[in-house]
Amino acid sequence: MTLPAEQPTMIEFKDVHKYYGDYHALRGITATIRAGEFFSLLGPSGCGKTTLLRTIAGFEDISSGVVMIDAKDMAGVPANQRPTNMVFQSYAIFPHLTVAENVGFGLRKDPRTKEEKAKAVSEALEMVGLTGFGARAAHALSGGQRQRVALARALILKPKVLLLDEPLSALDKKMREQMQVELIKLQRQVGITFILVTHDQEEALVMSDRIAVMFDGEIAQLDDPETLYRKPANRRVANFIGTMNFLPAKIVSETSQSIQVEAAGFGSFTVAADQASGKKGDEETAVGFRPETLTILFDDQKASDREAMATVEEVVYYGDMTYYDIRLDGAPVAMRLSMRNVPGRPVLDIGARARVAWSTAALVLFR
Amino acid sequence: MKGGGFKIYAVAYLIFLYAPIILLPIFAFNNAAIIAFPLSGFTTKWFQALWAEPALWNAAKNSLIVGVSTSILSTALGVFAARASTRYNFPGKGGILGMIMLPLVLPEIILAVALLVLLLGIGVPLSMFTVTLGHVLVCTPFSIAILSAAFQSLDRSLEEASYDLGENAVTTFWLVILPLVMPGIISSLLITFTISLDEFIMAFFLAGTESTLPVYIFSQFRFPQAVPVIMALGTILVLLSITLLSIAEYFRRRGIARTGGKDTGGFL
Repeated sequence: MTLPAEQPTMIEFKDVHKYYGDYHALRGITATIRAGEFFSLLGPSGCGKTTLLRTIAGFEDISSGVVMIDAKDMAGVPANQRPTNMVFQSYAIFPHLTVAENVGFGLRKDPRTKEEKAKAVSEALEMVGLTGFGARAAHALSGGQRQRVALARALILKPKVLLLDEPLSALDKKMREQMQVELIKLQRQVGITFILVTHDQEEALVMSDRIAVMFDGEIAQLDDPETLYRKPANRRVANFIGTMNFLPAKIVSETSQSIQVEAAGFGSFTVAADQASGKKGDEETAVGFRPETLTILFDDQKASDREAMATVEEVVYYGDMTYYDIRLDGAPVAMRLSMRNVPGRPVLDIGARARVAWSTAALVLFR
Repeated sequence: MKGGGFKIYAVAYLIFLYAPIILLPIFAFNNAAIIAFPLSGFTTKWFQALWAEPALWNAAKNSLIVGVSTSILSTALGVFAARASTRYNFPGKGGILGMIMLPLVLPEIILAVALLVLLLGIGVPLSMFTVTLGHVLVCTPFSIAILSAAFQSLDRSLEEASYDLGENAVTTFWLVILPLVMPGIISSLLITFTISLDEFIMAFFLAGTESTLPVYIFSQFRFPQAVPVIMALGTILVLLSITLLSIAEYFRRRGIARTGGKDTGGFL
């Protein structure tokens, strides 16, 4: 689900820098997060994603730049006066309070009557699937339940922005996948801007409308999941999100529309100019392609674009899929290829010869 | 049997530790002025004699005042120090904390003499106030040790969650921090009170003409006929100490259970 670009801006970063002593944690973050968007900050640990989230919440002062929430400059606005609420990585459930007291914690200064507040609390609990848990002691909850309490506690205040700091990292795989779906549904239901910090690329791809991939305190790419996957801005982003094969290449000639490329094993071919990523001279020139854009041809299948002979070097069988490491004849490195397993089609053995097909339109040229 | 030697050792150790204390109530209820076996019958007259001792009542009142003042003062100081040491970083933190904890291991008599010389030097008259000062010096390290553990187990994000939900530093302290460290505070109050109640050296040096219970007990040992009364008093004090420490431990454990933590040591 991609939101229209004309959605109003909720959060704006303008050249945000953050130093811890000599350490430059945020290096000039400029980005816009739209209202009602499910936005993810994705990156390896230490990339500054949590720091950036905390500058929105008001837990970190920025060294320079501007953070705006709903068109208001947040400089000097403390955390308790910002229209944001946070779900902490540790959930930060108050252990001395009951579930209902936790959820109702932020309503202390709310002018509503006690009964109205109690109703709001039970509605919030219902929303996260914890109906009837109000009287339980908070410390007796499971990880997944704590997570839900933390969500209810933040959402009951109807913030403009909900901040989620790696909320699923402490859950087991099954629970995590279930919560991913629930979070997406919840976000659509309440319509609040969600900002998720995660180091899990799959989680980000599944949940987000848009993702900012961060490395070393900078945003390397900000795009919707499909664009991120199809056309990563550079090799680092390509490696972080999914698997990408790289084959050394050489640019023979280029016009404003197309680029003539030569790669050992791939031969000589032409790609459209907009298939090129990265700034000129940034990296060694290479062609990149996802494992699923290569196909092994069986029997008399015909390639729609190009094909070449290859040798199978490794086979990894996953049940529904098989991953092959194949080396095109003449290519300097092996490449990973994924095939959906179909009944009646054999899984190839190591050393087997195979015809491999690909489409040059699916390639990304890194230069 | 495996470990039999250790079992005998453990039992012998416990007997050595507690036999003298068990003698206290035995002779407190023994109908004889001389502390010796065989026992010569049950009596409660030594306890009755306690009631009719104005000097004892005065000493008890002094001990109570000093004990309560000491426990409140050292616990308050302990809260500040524990909060500072667990939440903030400042230059020389390790050294400063080491200096605060030093009275734990310094010979108390050295501290007492030094304090006496200092107080006399600057012209402070000896009183229950000076005894309280001495006791605070001795008790604050205990408070800090107990309260640091309580503050240490506080998740930082609990405070942030409170700010995030609209509270400020003061209300966060009242609504979140204080309830969570309260078991530690109660534990610290009771333990420092117990220490102050039993403390002798500081009280002996700094009390001037007044006396606290331990000083009174010591002074009474000069009179053989007073010994059974002291035994009776000692019985009461032992019971009181055990009760206070048990309550302190109860609160400490409840604090751990409430925050869902794991028990790592303790006093009882």
